[in-house]
Amino acid sequence: MSNHLSDPASALETAPTGQSQYLFEAIGITKRFEDGQVQALRMINLRVMPGEFVAITGPSGCGKTTLLQMLGALDRPTKGSLLYRGNSIPDLRDPSRYRALEIGFIFQAFHLLPTFTVLENVQIPMFESHLSASERKARAAALLKSVGLSNRLNHFPAKLSGGERQRVAIARSLANSPSVLLADEPTGNLDSENAHHILELINRLHHEQKMTLVLVTHDMDIAQRASRIIHMKDGRIVADHQTGGARE
Amino acid sequence: MTFFTVVARGLIRRPVRTGLTVLGISVGIAAVVALVGISRGFSKSWETGMKARGTDIVVSNMGSSIIPKPFSTSIIDRIAHLPHIAATCGILVDLTSVENAQMIMVSARQWGGFSWNNLKLISGRMPRDAEEPAVLLGRTAADVLKKKVGDTIEIETGELSVVGIVDGDAWVENGSIILALPVLQKITGNAGKINAVDIRVTPSTSAGEVQLLCEQIDKLVPEARAVVASENITDSEVYRMAQAMSWGTSLLAVLVGVLGVMNTMLMTVFERTQEICVLLALGWQRHRIIRMVLWESATLGLLGGLAGALIGAVGVKILGMTPSLRGLLEPDLSVRLLAVSVAIAVGVGVVSGLYPAWRSSRLVPSRALQN
Repeated sequence: MSNHLSDPASALETAPTGQSQYLFEAIGITKRFEDGQVQALRMINLRVMPGEFVAITGPSGCGKTTLLQMLGALDRPTKGSLLYRGNSIPDLRDPSRYRALEIGFIFQAFHLLPTFTVLENVQIPMFESHLSASERKARAAALLKSVGLSNRLNHFPAKLSGGERQRVAIARSLANSPSVLLADEPTGNLDSENAHHILELINRLHHEQKMTLVLVTHDMDIAQRASRIIHMKDGRIVADHQTGGARE
Repeated sequence: MTFFTVVARGLIRRPVRTGLTVLGISVGIAAVVALVGISRGFSKSWETGMKARGTDIVVSNMGSSIIPKPFSTSIIDRIAHLPHIAATCGILVDLTSVENAQMIMVSARQWGGFSWNNLKLISGRMPRDAEEPAVLLGRTAADVLKKKVGDTIEIETGELSVVGIVDGDAWVENGSIILALPVLQKITGNAGKINAVDIRVTPSTSAGEVQLLCEQIDKLVPEARAVVASENITDSEVYRMAQAMSWGTSLLAVLVGVLGVMNTMLMTVFERTQEICVLLALGWQRHRIIRMVLWESATLGLLGGLAGALIGAVGVKILGMTPSLRGLLEPDLSVRLLAVSVAIAVGVGVVSGLYPAWRSSRLVPSRALQN
C-alpha cells in the first residue's frame, strides 16, 4: 500500500536495504530515559505486516506509548534496529517527511489547534504535500464529510464535543493518505458512547482504506477489536497473539 | 488556508499583546522618522535656501555653534579678486528670539548684494537704502510674528518698520527676517562685522575649480573656512552632533523595539510549545516552523514600521505647527526615509525572531503525545 500523494521512497530517504515483507520490524530495541536510569523499552522484537490492526495493551508506564513514538519517528531507540519497509527509521534523513506522508497520528487529547477552524485543522498536515490551497481545502472537506462532520467545517474546536474533536483528529490523521495510523488511547478522553462511535469509525477506515493500524490502549475490550494483541509489561512484550481478525 | 493564514492566526491569538508589541516598535520607528526627518530636513532646507539665493560658496566659521562666529568685513576685499568669483555678498545672520517667536532667523545682507535678488515682493516694498530702519519678512515669518506691512518689530534694541513681505523661494528664506547689513550691525553692536560671505562663481566654473577656489580662500582667510554651499550646514559641528544624537536616540528606540519583539516571540513560542510539537508530530518540517516564527516576528515589525512611519510623519507635522517651532521645522519626510524606516522595522522583526525561532526548532515532537 503506497501513499498516493508521493513516492514512499522519497519520504524514507534512506539507502534502500531491500524490500521487506514487513511494514515494521523491530529487532532488540531498547529505550533509556534520564541519563539511563529509566528503561522504557527492553529488547523489543516485533514484526507488523501491512494492513494489520495491532492493539498494544498493558498497564500505565509499560512502554506502549514509547513504542508508538518509535514507530512514528517521534523518538529514537537507544539500542536496536527499527525498520519501516526495510528502511531504518532512526536513520531517516527527514523524519518529518516520513511522519507527514506515511504516518497518521491520533492522540488521546486530540491536540487540535484552537485558533484554527475544523476545516483548517485538517489541512495542517497537507502543507507538507504538494496540494494547492484549493485542493487542500477540498480534500479536508471530503475527509470531514467521511467522518460525519460536514456541518461543522467552520467551527472552532472549542465549540465541539469530545467525540466531534476526535473525529476531526481522525480526519486530520488521514490528510495525506498515510499507510499507517498510530492511535494513542484514542478513546481515553471520551464517554463510552462516543468511544464506541470513534472505535467504529477507526475500524471502518481501517477496512475501507486498508491501512495498517497500531492502537495503544489499556482497555482490553477495545484491544479485542484488533486482529492482533500485543501485551506489554515493564518495557517488554509479554504476549503477542492473533485474535482471529478485526471485527467490522 | 495558506501558510500566511497560519502566521496571521499566530498573531491574532493574543491581540492585546500583539498590539502592544506593534506599538512598542512603532514608537521606535516614529523616533527614527521624526529625528532623522528633522535633521535631514534642516540640511535640505538650508541647501535649498542657498540655491535660491544663487550662492555657490559660503565663507564662514561655524565652529561648534549653530551661528557662525563674526569676522571683519575686510575679508570680502581679500577674496573678491580671486578667479571664478562673479559676486560676493556679506551676511550677518543670527538665530534669536524676536517678540512672540522664540527662535527666528534674522538675516542681514550687504546692501546691493546678489542675495537680495531672489526675494519676490508679495506686499509692500523693498527698503529704500542701506540705512533705513526697515525689515522684510519672509511670508512664514510674517505669519509666525503676526506682522503685516506698516507694523513695527523689535529686534534687540532697535525698533524697525516692516516694509515688505517677501517670498524667498525657500523655506529658510521664508522663515527669516531680512534687513540691510548696516542696520543689524548697528543694533547688535557689530559694526564692521559679518559672519558669512556668500559667493557666486562665474557660470562656466567646474566643480573642481570651485573646490580649488575654496582652498585658495582658506589660505587667504585663515579665520574662516570656505565650503561649497550645499555642504555648509552639514559641515558644521553642531549639525553633525545633532545628527549623531538623532541616530543615537533612534538606535536606542529601535533596540527597545528589538527587545519587545523578542520578548513577545519568546512568550509565543513558550505558550505554543505543545502546539509546535503537534505541528512537528504531524510532519511539519523544522524549517517551516522556523519560517512561521520569523514571518510572525517580521509581520510584527512591518505593522510596527507602518504605524511608526505614520506616527512619526504626523507627529513631526504637528510639532512643526506649534507656535514655538513654526517656520523653523521643515522635516524631510521623503518616501525613501519612510521606506527605510519600515525596512528597519522589518529587519528588527526578523532579527528579534531569530532566537525564538531557533528555540522553537529545538522542540521535541514526542512531547505532543504527553497529555
